[in-house]
Amino acid sequence: MVNKFGQMKIQQMSFMLLAVFLFFSLVGMIIITVKMSELRNSATELERQNAMLLATKLASSPEFSCGDVYGTPKTDCVDLDKVMMLKENINKYSNFWGSSNIEIMRIYPKNKTITECNSTNYPNCNYIKLLDKSLSGYDASNFVALCRKEKDKGETVTKCEMGKIIIRYEEAK
Amino acid sequence: MKRENKREQESYRLLSRKSGQEEMVGFGLILILVAIIFIVFIASYIRKSSDVNDEDYEANSFVQAILQYTTPCEEENLNNLSLQKVIFKCQKKEVCYYRHMDSCKVLNDTIKGAARESWNIGTKNPNKGYSLIINVSESEQLLNITEGVVTNNYRTGLQDFGDPHGDYIIILMDVYT
Repeated sequence: MVNKFGQMKIQQMSFMLLAVFLFFSLVGMIIITVKMSELRNSATELERQNAMLLATKLASSPEFSCGDVYGTPKTDCVDLDKVMMLKENINKYSNFWGSSNIEIMRIYPKNKTITECNSTNYPNCNYIKLLDKSLSGYDASNFVALCRKEKDKGETVTKCEMGKIIIRYEEAK
Repeated sequence: MKRENKREQESYRLLSRKSGQEEMVGFGLILILVAIIFIVFIASYIRKSSDVNDEDYEANSFVQAILQYTTPCEEENLNNLSLQKVIFKCQKKEVCYYRHMDSCKVLNDTIKGAARESWNIGTKNPNKGYSLIINVSESEQLLNITEGVVTNNYRTGLQDFGDPHGDYIIILMDVYT
């Protein structure tokens, strides 16, 4: 009787151990799955942060900033004349800003149609595509003042409009 | 013989009751252990997600950019004024030089138009609404524009600068999300 009882206890114990082992391995698998998806999300989040930082600091970089050409130095001011010259020589800068596409768009005053800028239609256009890599991802943007010099009644005047710098970045796979 | 059998049965009954109690204690301990692991996991997950904070760089850059916008308001030498200078003109209730436009109307129209084109607001959009306030030295309100839905979640952009008369202008932009 006692012998039978002992065998039953051992059997019970082994079933319990098996159940606990299965339970913890299931929990472990869930944690690993969550962590893996978190890792992918954090990689995309890092890309987003980089794009956001690039969008905020790009207007201050020497290749884009107005400097003191339009009076006192200003933040979030992009010299469109400079950007058009940069567009002509963009091949030299293809990897300078990492794996991102850079676009500049005038948003106010608004045009009904989107016209890409080139040397012949500038400044009667509202969209400049600086880098055009084949990326599938999201974008980060920042508001900027788009300033340029313009001839008005024989005088050179400064004209600033509202625009956006858009950085497109690759999604982590 | 009968007495011995009775004693054996009684001791077996006592033993099984004791082992049942032990099993219940063990089961309780396992439950507590699992609960602790679960709580630690959830706590670390919540702490990590609350670390994410929304920066107001977009609202700030909007205010910075709009201040540099060239308005249709002219000064004496017929140069068009930036929005920052139109704010000073509006504060002094001056009209624009060439076409005698009301500087405060130019200020209002420019900011309304630029904000409408810049912020895509709507109940189904990430940005539900916005408000922009221009104050002079915290006492006088020059402009107050509110569009869309006002919610409790918002991002703020702030810019202040001094004018030639010693007053200071405060521009506060809230974008409701």
